[in-house]
Amino acid sequence: MTEEEKNILKKLGISAIEFIYGMAGHDMTRFALKTRGSMEHLFILITMGDLLGVPILPPYYSLRLLPYVVPQISTWKRRMLREKDLTDALA
Amino acid sequence: MSLAHIFQEHPQRRYIMFGGKGGLGKTTFSAAAAYHLAQQGFRVLVFSVDPQASLSDIFERDIYGKGPVEIMPNLFAQEIDADQHIRAYQDEIRNKILDMYGMEEVPEEIESYIQAAAAEPAMEVYYLSMASVYDEWIDKITKLREEMAEYSKVASLIQRDKELEEDMILKELLDIKYRINTSSGILTDKEKTAFFFVIIPEEMALIDTLKAAELFAKFQVPLCGYVVNRVIPPELGQQNIPAYLRNRLEMQERYLIRIDELFGEQVLAQIPEFERDITGLPMIEKMAEAMFGMVTESSTAPPRSVEGAKP
Repeated sequence: MTEEEKNILKKLGISAIEFIYGMAGHDMTRFALKTRGSMEHLFILITMGDLLGVPILPPYYSLRLLPYVVPQISTWKRRMLREKDLTDALA
Repeated sequence: MSLAHIFQEHPQRRYIMFGGKGGLGKTTFSAAAAYHLAQQGFRVLVFSVDPQASLSDIFERDIYGKGPVEIMPNLFAQEIDADQHIRAYQDEIRNKILDMYGMEEVPEEIESYIQAAAAEPAMEVYYLSMASVYDEWIDKITKLREEMAEYSKVASLIQRDKELEEDMILKELLDIKYRINTSSGILTDKEKTAFFFVIIPEEMALIDTLKAAELFAKFQVPLCGYVVNRVIPPELGQQNIPAYLRNRLEMQERYLIRIDELFGEQVLAQIPEFERDITGLPMIEKMAEAMFGMVTESSTAPPRSVEGAKP
């Protein structure tokens, strides 16, 4: 088998794996990541609720967690303050 | 039972605290107790987080925010500048954010949050009641965090990613939990910690103290007894004194009886109102004698800390 043939086989193999992943795994991953994302936002709400005017606990200790959630703050705020309607439940 | 007796019977105690309403003499008693223990050969640190810097006044030295300062052999005093600590804490958070994301300055909304978080965790009872709430809160969010880690794990497993980021937040949470548990553990340690209440023979002080004592019992703070301060010497009654003073003496007598009814055996000492304020070592020595009786010297002893604190 030449080098080129080997390469083609390898590409085929990768494609097959990606195809199967797309059929079986992708949705699961998406679901896992989506749930993870929702939990992340829930977490920020519990710890940094003050940012939205929801004082859950004095923020002395949550200050220590602040640096780690800085990048998520703006998406979190958008999601929390977004208007919600019935069609959300269907999504 | 006297104060000196309690101290002798429990040489294993390491943290001694005086609590009570403001201005009743907690810091003075702390200083005198520290002086007494230092005289006995213990290495003692007396400290306060009161921004009024009363320890500086009592020892007649500016020790505010200067760390532990040696007052005399074996006796160190420290007055913690809480504001400065909070500012340093806020700066640390700011720098961490700037470092982590290579930002030039902290975003405005984040900055305002940092400034709002300046409120220090309060002392004692409030702290203890908060500690149990914090503890549960942290338990809950730690669990949430662990569940989140599960989902990330699943996702990266299906995607066949080898590397999983370490969850720094979980690490911080565990550290916060450790700190809260350690500090509330010290406050409620019956072996190592003793808590004394300062009262004066006056209505308001008694009502407040009863309430505080109830709270202390609820949070398992080892309350060891009461010290009555500012007792006008009753012998004065036999002298020719103005009606004003006589009235005060009568009122005091009523409240001393009331204190006896309320606390009985738990009253460990009655300290007279001194002819002048307690500042400088000679006056502290006098105060220590009033609290503990005459000092007897003993040999080497391990370190202790004494603290003046508010309920």
